[in-house]
Amino acid sequence: MSAPDEYGLIRHAQQKHLAFTEVVDGLEASKFRFSAKDNLCAIGFQARAGSAVLDGYRPPFDATAISRLKGTGGQLVGKTTMDEFGFGTFSTNSAHGVPLNPFDIERSCGGSSGGAGAAACLIPGHISLGVSTGGSISGPASFCGVVGLTPTYGRVSRYGLIDYGNSLDKVGLLARSASLIVPHFRTMAGPDHKDPTSCAQPALGGKGKLPSSLAVPTEALENLDPAVLSGFRGALEGLRLMGITVKEVSMPSLRFALPAYYILATSEASTNLARYCGMRFGRREEDLNQHFNDFFTGVRSESFGDEAKRRILLGTFCRMVGFRSRYYLKSLAVRQMLIDEYRRVFQEHDAVLTPTMPFVPPRFDEISRMKPLEMYGADFLTVPPNLTGMPHISMPCHYADGLPVGMQMVADHWKELDLLEAAVAWEKEFPYHFPEVVL
Amino acid sequence: MKIGLEMHFQLPTRSKLFCSCPTTAAEPNQNVCPVCLGYPGSRPFLNRKALEVGLSIARFLDCQIEERVWFSRKTYFYPDLPKNFQITQYESPLGTSGHFELGGRRIGIWRVHLEEDPGRIRRVGRSGEEIAFVDYNRSGIPLVEIVTAPDLTSPEEARAFIDHLVIELRSLCGLEAQDEQTVRVDANISVGEERVEVKNVQGLRNLERALKFEANRQTKLLAAGKKVVRETRRFDEERKVTTSAREKETEEDYGYIGEPDLGEFLIGEMARSLDLKETPLVRAKRLVVSHGIGEATARQMVLTSTALTDLFEELCIIVPPERAVTWTMGTISANWGALQDPAKWPEIKLIVKDDQEDRITDNEAKRRLLKLAGVHQEEAAEGDADLARLISEFVDAHPEVLADYRKNPKAANKVIGHVMKESKGRYSSKEVVEEVRKELEKRV
Repeated sequence: MSAPDEYGLIRHAQQKHLAFTEVVDGLEASKFRFSAKDNLCAIGFQARAGSAVLDGYRPPFDATAISRLKGTGGQLVGKTTMDEFGFGTFSTNSAHGVPLNPFDIERSCGGSSGGAGAAACLIPGHISLGVSTGGSISGPASFCGVVGLTPTYGRVSRYGLIDYGNSLDKVGLLARSASLIVPHFRTMAGPDHKDPTSCAQPALGGKGKLPSSLAVPTEALENLDPAVLSGFRGALEGLRLMGITVKEVSMPSLRFALPAYYILATSEASTNLARYCGMRFGRREEDLNQHFNDFFTGVRSESFGDEAKRRILLGTFCRMVGFRSRYYLKSLAVRQMLIDEYRRVFQEHDAVLTPTMPFVPPRFDEISRMKPLEMYGADFLTVPPNLTGMPHISMPCHYADGLPVGMQMVADHWKELDLLEAAVAWEKEFPYHFPEVVL
Repeated sequence: MKIGLEMHFQLPTRSKLFCSCPTTAAEPNQNVCPVCLGYPGSRPFLNRKALEVGLSIARFLDCQIEERVWFSRKTYFYPDLPKNFQITQYESPLGTSGHFELGGRRIGIWRVHLEEDPGRIRRVGRSGEEIAFVDYNRSGIPLVEIVTAPDLTSPEEARAFIDHLVIELRSLCGLEAQDEQTVRVDANISVGEERVEVKNVQGLRNLERALKFEANRQTKLLAAGKKVVRETRRFDEERKVTTSAREKETEEDYGYIGEPDLGEFLIGEMARSLDLKETPLVRAKRLVVSHGIGEATARQMVLTSTALTDLFEELCIIVPPERAVTWTMGTISANWGALQDPAKWPEIKLIVKDDQEDRITDNEAKRRLLKLAGVHQEEAAEGDADLARLISEFVDAHPEVLADYRKNPKAANKVIGHVMKESKGRYSSKEVVEEVRKELEKRV
């Protein structure tokens, strides 16, 4: 595709699907083009992380993932829409537009990297940088019918990422195929002294090993939309035909993942969001002649969205003296328990496979009727690997009435290349569909 | 009376605790970067030197040191705190359960931990119309917090405790010279049952005043049959009184969680492999025990100079300790500027030995030492008096120098410059510097 057409697609993705918050004025003759979720800092763009509290904030530095991609000849073409600070499953909690699904604009792109999912789907060859805390890459990949890789925690530097939950946040990639992702994942991975948690990783190997044995937890097949369940079972048959062993196993700890995740993530988030108070960066109040407490409260009350406020309250509660050990410390123990459970499964299997989301992309009117707890529950398949820091990849495995259904494969820490190997093999057997774009 | 102290000292590192900004003085908001300003997307990385210094302090105080430590977020909202949380150590300090000897008594050390300093607020303008400016140069400066058990029994003892601790830490890890003035202390004090916390007192003089006021206030309350309320009080430096800051019935809730960006540090090996210097007061104690010299003499010697004490110990090999003291604290220390060069030490030892074995008289020995120092005896006798006279005359005539010196020891340079000029180079700069320091310290 020639450059002007690609730029037309980017504008289309921005205007018709609200995938971008900002785009460049024109394309350069670069090797490849990529976009970044709006919580990744880049010189030349605002970094607002979907929040009005950061309106006008222009960071003075590039995130490491972005500078590394630029270093291999990439052009950053825009910032993609997202739930405020990553707080959401449908990208509906955004102060800068709600992205619309490429397959049906009345449906959600998933969240919180919704704009990234839409951009990856709408623009052939495009690389979207996404960020996952509890499923924010897998979810949009599933709903937008693309491949989404969430690396091991600590594999890609978080320097320049606006924090949600620092012990959970991971920078990853979304694109139309796993083969597109492989070279750029290699570029982004590796230690960075500006993020100490990236400095303990083993080197990325030369080539991954195709998983030959997959475990499907029975617990993950409960409470699924029938269309998702039958699509997923069909995919299992396809995998068996490829010579891969698929076995059902039991992973009873999975059900503790969701509450533990929301406690840890909101505890960390409530401290991360403390800095947004109208001083130093982002939106500020006009009236400076106030007590600092009133000034801070004014800015925060006005600028944070409802979901951000809900998570600040939840997280602050969980950190309080008296509740801390009951919630926060217990959740840390649950995280370790879950890691142990995955490790047990990995003694006999190469990866764990589940559907990615329990249903096909929902319509916005359906979402508006959902209660917060129902929304949190939609993450029950993506949260467990995120909580353990294990790498996972979501790829299309079925189309239900023209809407994509995704499956998610989880491997042990640092084994991203095995997952990519599996996804490359899969996309040769199962061709993906993308909606036709008429400019 | 029971007093417990929480002391904060700035660690002598060139860069900040979690970024590479310099720790030197600068125009407001010049030594800042995205990390110490808490910009979204920035993250901390630990200064290895600060960890080493913190661990040597913990080891010096004989603390228990865990293999593994981590940092925590202490969340509270304040304009000088860029992230609105402070990175500190909560469940996991560098050291716990240590102690420090003071006047033969063991003062318990509850904990030693590292934390980052917030920025500084400056208020400008008339009262009621003030404008507040925030300077973030201090944000991220490494601090060590040392918390004692409530083992101190008087304001004077509390002051002496910090005084001695600073002497030791200065030699151990190079704390700044003016730490007696800049140390920030929170003190808990109780005369009866209930304790009161006096927060944010700066400097030793203020600490002693604040504690004396508070002890007096509590004693009067109890004598009048009233109760001491458990609360936090502030020390008003102008009025020299403590005033109630807020009633403190329960601990403030800082919602501590681990700092996920820094991970965990395995410090056991580092702590064990640190080579701790012998500190002056520890050395003085050893000299008392091993050479049988007086405590006051030992302390005076180690505080005068480490090298002088080295020479003393070398002399002790060839002469009895009391003779070594006589020579070291007499002629040698009086001419230390010229005799501190180790190249002259073999000759010094020879002279002292000749004297000890009665090959020469004391006077002859002194004459030879003075010759080695490059002064003739007659001149020296007058000279010493002359130097002292020059200094004291100048300080008498310029009382403002003393006031300046209290704030900043560099004010001594004014006196030194004058004396050097007046004496036309009859004394080495070292001699002048020492005499001036001695005189000013005496008067302060």
